[in-house]
Amino acid sequence: MSYTVSFERMNELIQSLQSNYKIFAPVRFEKRGRYSDTDMVRYANISCVEEIVHDEKSDFSPKEVVFPVTQAILYFTESEFMESRVHDKKILIFLRSCDIHGIRRLDNMFLRNGNVADFYYKRLREKVKFVLMECHDGWDTCFCVSMGSNETSDYSMAVRFHDDSLEIDVKDEEFEPMFGKEAQSDFTPEFVKQNAITVKIPDIRDKDTLHEVYNLPLWQSYNSRCQSCGACNAVCITCSCFTTTDVVYSENGRMGERRRVWASCQHEDFTAMAGGHRFRTTPGERLRFRALHKVYDYRQRFKTEQMCVGCGRCDDRCPEFISFSAMINRLSEEVDKLNEVKSK
Amino acid sequence: MNHDIDIKEIRKNCFRQSKVKGEFMLQMRVPGGIVAAKHLSMVQHIAETWGNGTFHIGTRQTFSLPGIKYESIDAVNAYIKDYIREIEVDTCGVDMDVNDAGYPTIGARNIVACIGNSHCIKANIDTTALARKLESIIFPSHYHIKISIAGCPNDCAKAHFTDFGIIGVTKTEYDYDRCIGCGKCVEACAHHATRVLSMEQAKVVKDECCCVGCGECVLACPTGAWSRVPTKFYRVMIGGRTGKKSPRMGKMFLNFVTEDVIIGIMKNWEKFSAEVLEHKPVYLHGGHLIDRAGYHKFKEMILDGVTLNPEAMVAQRIFWAETEYRSNINVLPVATK
Amino acid sequence: MNGLLVHETRANHNEMIPTAHEVLGVVRETETEFTLRVKTDAEVHHGQFFQISLPKVGEVPISVSAIEDGFVEFTIRSVGKVTGELLRIRKGDRLFLRGPYGNSFPIHQFRGKDLVIIAGGTGVSPVRSTLRYFYQHRGEVPSLHFIAGFKDDNSVLFREDLELFRQRFDTIYSLDHDKVPGFEVGFVTEHVKQITFTDFSDYNVVIVGPPVMMHYVALECLKEGASEDKMWVSFERKMSCAIGKCGHCKIDETYVCLDGPVFNYSVAKSLLD
Ligand SMILES: Cc1cc2nc3c(=O)[nH]c(=O)nc-3n(C[C@H](O)[C@H](O)[C@H](O)COP(=O)(O)OP(=O)(O)OC[C@H]3O[C@@H](n4cnc5c(N)ncnc54)[C@H](O)[C@@H]3O)c2cc1C
Ligand code: SF4
Ligand code: SF4
Ligand code: SF4
Ligand code: FES
Repeated sequence: MSYTVSFERMNELIQSLQSNYKIFAPVRFEKRGRYSDTDMVRYANISCVEEIVHDEKSDFSPKEVVFPVTQAILYFTESEFMESRVHDKKILIFLRSCDIHGIRRLDNMFLRNGNVADFYYKRLREKVKFVLMECHDGWDTCFCVSMGSNETSDYSMAVRFHDDSLEIDVKDEEFEPMFGKEAQSDFTPEFVKQNAITVKIPDIRDKDTLHEVYNLPLWQSYNSRCQSCGACNAVCITCSCFTTTDVVYSENGRMGERRRVWASCQHEDFTAMAGGHRFRTTPGERLRFRALHKVYDYRQRFKTEQMCVGCGRCDDRCPEFISFSAMINRLSEEVDKLNEVKSK
Repeated sequence: MNHDIDIKEIRKNCFRQSKVKGEFMLQMRVPGGIVAAKHLSMVQHIAETWGNGTFHIGTRQTFSLPGIKYESIDAVNAYIKDYIREIEVDTCGVDMDVNDAGYPTIGARNIVACIGNSHCIKANIDTTALARKLESIIFPSHYHIKISIAGCPNDCAKAHFTDFGIIGVTKTEYDYDRCIGCGKCVEACAHHATRVLSMEQAKVVKDECCCVGCGECVLACPTGAWSRVPTKFYRVMIGGRTGKKSPRMGKMFLNFVTEDVIIGIMKNWEKFSAEVLEHKPVYLHGGHLIDRAGYHKFKEMILDGVTLNPEAMVAQRIFWAETEYRSNINVLPVATK
Repeated sequence: MNGLLVHETRANHNEMIPTAHEVLGVVRETETEFTLRVKTDAEVHHGQFFQISLPKVGEVPISVSAIEDGFVEFTIRSVGKVTGELLRIRKGDRLFLRGPYGNSFPIHQFRGKDLVIIAGGTGVSPVRSTLRYFYQHRGEVPSLHFIAGFKDDNSVLFREDLELFRQRFDTIYSLDHDKVPGFEVGFVTEHVKQITFTDFSDYNVVIVGPPVMMHYVALECLKEGASEDKMWVSFERKMSCAIGKCGHCKIDETYVCLDGPVFNYSVAKSLLD
């Protein structure tokens, strides 16, 4: 059932939801952007609709709600481990179709890779319900249509924002009673049908081609451009790597915690082992690793769609103006050439 | 041709004497070094109608038009009236009469600024906006003062070599939980700045004392763990100058002061100059006035009535380091002044 | 749960929580290497590894170097933060473990066939349990050649075991440069030729050591006629979770912690970093 709800009324509903839910949405942090007098839009707890930034793409993805940047996993005293705790509320996330697909990719990584589900991801993820934010045209770096993540029916509620009201499609029985008194509407979310950019996923058909792909000069062309900052990883809804470290609370050297912190495959020491041995020592090799993970490796492993959902955040955030979508298209062109040679 | 011209009077009108007798160079103010590009057609018109067809991008970011004949000055002054009104009055809010007589004074010089945060990725402040605000305070005054505004401590605007150099600095804030311990900020700080960051237990610690407020850590951070606080802060360098006798680099007077403080001290500037020069605006620049008054007197007068923000830092003493082209150039017979 | 599919039988099992185990003994092998005997009844296979941790210091992957009734052994080289701290562990102390993780050497496939095990330096450690197994079950393989190489006399590991192995296997022990009784001189690669194979293509070959060593030994074995699909190597990669989540050990679509550390050479040779 769909309804039209004024912001004012929605705020009352949000307030009542808050007794059971933490509500996350893209929020503006004024002047906290990378450059002076630019804002940062990222996911945070909200308590009214006006806080939701619905007409801009967020700089960072909603992954941090289910996969926090820093997360304590265990606490310890001299000889004991204790599992870290998590709040007892459920979680509602306002997000777009691409990000819902993105979280599904994270589900694969955390819940299905290997034979045990990740406890820490799972305990947050189980709490989550999605509120789809309708997307009309997307933005100039989006390529969700090419990645098939422009549409979804995987949500509890969907919203379209107007100036001081929103239309809301409520699919989840849990929320239906809350809207009983609201004016009904015939709203169903529309989806982006076309992006300004089209991205072709490389058609790598065999290991042989993959070997050739590894040695393409294309990758080296990034050596002088990429500064290995890892911003592309940080903003990506599907980047899931982390590092585990132990820390000691300095006030009391006997207590400490084991924590998990996001890691970036673009950083030089991502593969560094004791003794200093590293794999993928150039920016180009590391970008190749990332690119292939996003459009090839993950798909091979899970026998499903590619990992990248085409949100375009990596393009938006790269300080060196490296376009991931352009990289993938260049790669696809090269692969087509290789395939052509092979078919002859 | 009668060349009986009072060049000092003409200079006050912003026309500079040429080596060619009877010719002058007009210096037009461009506060902050930025104006709408449409004004270039005005520059072209002046150069081709009254000047020698060229213009120089003045060292203090003026439109400088050489080769203007003494006889043309009135016509030129009448012509630039609209420009003066648009830039000085409408854009900067300068309180002045705009008439056919051209610029009323050359005293307070054009305010120089780098492009600032409207364009530059490194800048911490909007240099243009600040230049325009300060223009309304210092102009038109017959007292000589040079101001330069730099968007960040890299100081492309050379605030270190001017009477009042203002540099945009930032207070950064660290979000412990957003930090992934990658060390990129530590590297950036060591590379570009003062090496005040280091890693401790996979997070970052900062030696607050020596942070220059450049914001390189913010630029380097992949997760946005470092960010600038929304309030803008400034560093003020004083007493820098070039010159034949004793050029010197300015010294830090204030650090991490807010815009209100900058406005406050600039408002005290004219009074300070007048007092030091006994109300005679002779051709002597700000730095020399600070020398005359002595730093402590300067500090007292310039900060008079100014409320410093809590983060502000003020120099207790200043140790000038001049380049003396003759040793002990400051050691003079008692009679000389 | 929002339609989540989870391949998880133990619904709320937290794999990251280690358990405490008693250290039954410590043997100093070399100046930087030592073996810890740790009490456990866990079912462990040859070639697997554990995540060993010291609270407040950290967690590291370490292969089992022996699997016996009621205990396993770990042989550790002290190279950094955690391994450096492990050096201080004494008999009776407690050590935190989770695991075992990873796959193992296919012992069932080795049975009944001639076996060659070539190891270099600390690479001897992950194959030691396999060697001990065949030492105790010598009849399961018609022949077992064991080639072990160490840098010098000071870096020789498992001296006692090496002596025992001499009695039941065809052994070649070698030091890179030092001349010491009981050891040949030279790199392991050079000794492969010394084995007089009847038909090498039917032998199973295990190669473990530093990446460069494994690479050249594998090439040498192939030259001598060994079959790619009967050769096994064990990989080391940076690891942070050991359960396929952290991404550090990923090579193309392969996760070393899940799909390795033991790889058949036919797979290993085409893994692309
Ligand atoms: C499956 C597997 C099995 C293993 N089995 C064994 C075993 O049986 N025995 C054994 O001794 N080891 C084994 N290792 C290796 C062992 O895990 C590492 O030596 C250990 O993790 C080092 O941890 P540390 O805390 O002591 O060193 P750290 O202090 O953590 O040093 C290692 C880390 O520090 C950094 N680092 C260290 N040196 C440098 C440098 N020179 N330049 C840049 N960065 C550097 C890297 O990030 C590296 O990951 C195994 C590894 C794997 C993956
Ligand atoms: S591609 Fe861009 S964002 Fe990614 S690591 Fe390189 S420079 Fe940073
Ligand atoms: S790789 Fe780039 S476009 Fe694809 S999901 Fe990640 S951030 Fe979005
Ligand atoms: S750059 Fe950012 S994430 Fe990296 S160490 Fe510095 S604050 Fe932490
Ligand atoms: S060690 Fe974390 S994925 Fe393999």
